[in-house]
Amino acid sequence: MNIIEIKNLTKIYDKETIPVYALNNVSISFQSGEFTTIVGPSGSGKTTLLNMLGGLDKPTEGEIIIDHINITKLRSRQLIDFRLRNIGFVFQSFNLIPVLTAKENVEFIMQLQGTPKGLRENRTNELLRSVGLGDRVDARPNKLSGGQQQRVAVARALASKPKFILADEPTANLDSKSAENLLEIMEQLNKEENITFIFSTHDARVVAKARRIVTLEDGKIVSDIAK
Amino acid sequence: MNYFKLAWRNIWRNKRRTLLTAASIFMAVFLALLVRSIQTGWFDNLVNVVIQSYTGHIQIHKNGYWDDKDINNSMYCNDSLLRVLQSVDNIRNVVPRLEYFALSSFKQQTKGVLLIGTDPVKEDNLTHLSRKIIQGKYLQNTQHGILVAQKLASYLEIKTGDTLVLIGQGFHGVSAVGKFPVQGILHFPSPQLDNQMIYMNLPTAQEFFGADNRITTVSLMLNNPDHINQTVTLIRSVINNDRYEVMRWDEMLVEVMQQLKAKTAGGNIIIAILYMIVGFGIFGTVIMMTNERIKEFGVVVSVGMQKTRLAIIVLVEMIFIGLTGIISGIAVSLPIMLYYKVNPIHLTGNMAKTFINYGIEPLMPLAFKPAFILGNVIIVLIIVSLTCVYPVRKIFKLNVVEALRK
Repeated sequence: MNIIEIKNLTKIYDKETIPVYALNNVSISFQSGEFTTIVGPSGSGKTTLLNMLGGLDKPTEGEIIIDHINITKLRSRQLIDFRLRNIGFVFQSFNLIPVLTAKENVEFIMQLQGTPKGLRENRTNELLRSVGLGDRVDARPNKLSGGQQQRVAVARALASKPKFILADEPTANLDSKSAENLLEIMEQLNKEENITFIFSTHDARVVAKARRIVTLEDGKIVSDIAK
Repeated sequence: MNYFKLAWRNIWRNKRRTLLTAASIFMAVFLALLVRSIQTGWFDNLVNVVIQSYTGHIQIHKNGYWDDKDINNSMYCNDSLLRVLQSVDNIRNVVPRLEYFALSSFKQQTKGVLLIGTDPVKEDNLTHLSRKIIQGKYLQNTQHGILVAQKLASYLEIKTGDTLVLIGQGFHGVSAVGKFPVQGILHFPSPQLDNQMIYMNLPTAQEFFGADNRITTVSLMLNNPDHINQTVTLIRSVINNDRYEVMRWDEMLVEVMQQLKAKTAGGNIIIAILYMIVGFGIFGTVIMMTNERIKEFGVVVSVGMQKTRLAIIVLVEMIFIGLTGIISGIAVSLPIMLYYKVNPIHLTGNMAKTFINYGIEPLMPLAFKPAFILGNVIIVLIIVSLTCVYPVRKIFKLNVVEALRK
């Protein structure tokens, strides 16, 4: 079942002066439970595509339909609320809130959703255990390694029970062992809990794990291979 | 994790900056409260001295007397008027007086004087006149003697036991001439009063001026001066307003009030400059804090926090810093204000001379009113709110993608 449908998506920067096509008439769909990676050289449009998918940026043309909702038509407030309830984000540089502990960072999303305290606590502990950080719940980000921070970020992304998780170069700032470890956790979550992951990456290890590889060049899809 | 906790933790991310900002607010609140307290203390002290030594809180005259202080504008001393006034709520003392000018003479010396005929007991209740006696005895209703101010006595070279001649024009132009034994010498802090005042009992003054049963003034002292306007309204409702004028102390002491207002305005300018400096300091902090956290703002908005909530958190953070400065400023200045309210500062040197020239004891009591604190809290919160316009605007105009790239 398609959970995401992208139709004729175009993003043009500097439209008034010298137009740059970050995405050029891209159409693609993603199904529930996919473990997909978007690859391509720098400037190919990977991050732009992810930003559009996450509702962080508006396309110049085209439509993004997620679970029957055309998110390009949503207003700013609606879009923020849509992201909160439907999309999980894992950023390249972790981007945890520095004044919150690992547990509080994960709980933060559920608090935004209005989840009752008891449920929040149970789910937070469960998520942190599932990413192997059951013993570091009270540590602040500056007391965690890069790999641990990124695992907290994954737990945070999962906290809202999203329809899919967007991960922009999640292993770029990690050493090989931490990257390997993180990928295993995400792969396991994908297989066991059917969570949809969409990555953008340059990392060959991520590509190796992916079951679908979409290649972008100059804002166009040049290949879409399912393993 | 509630948003207050998040805001509280955020402000301590950069302890030094937060403490410096809070310290600048502390200094502003501390200095503003002290300036206000000293100013009001001085103001109240001056007013109280004038009220308690002469005018009272309210005076009643025959209509037109205040503009033309002539004995022919005196009024009949109506017992029922005094009784009615005494029955008005909030009035503590009712003192009838007959005041007019005369010429005093002793041996080769003569000098114009202000002669006040009054009820000695009531006058003492109102102005504590007996405490100003430095030589001799206080007035009594049955005695014919007079009290002479110290500088006047010194000029006339007269002392207790001597007889002073008073000459003047009485009611309806009659000649007023009399000889009066000096029964006491008074000292007034005000040189103006000390140079011209003579007191005698009311019947003696009425007889001297040929103004039987007439008075020029009824001075009233209130239990609660803060309710003066209500009391004036009550008085006007029970007396004949065509016949009598009712005046508050501030209407009678117009020049004093103007001087005090001018001094208060000067203090207000100092406080305004102080708060402007602090305002720019806070604004600098806010700009730094905002620009350092643009990426973080982008992250929280991208994961689903509404911009309104984020703006509220930033506002709460600044209010926390503001309150830290306000509370510490109040905590330090409050004991100082309360201590010097009860134990006034004794002034010396030129400052003391200036006070004496104004007719005030050289004491500087500090004042304390809850309105001082409330006013400063409101000012700081307004400054903080104004400085928050910058981050709030930044948040609402936030481009999440650009913020995440930072």
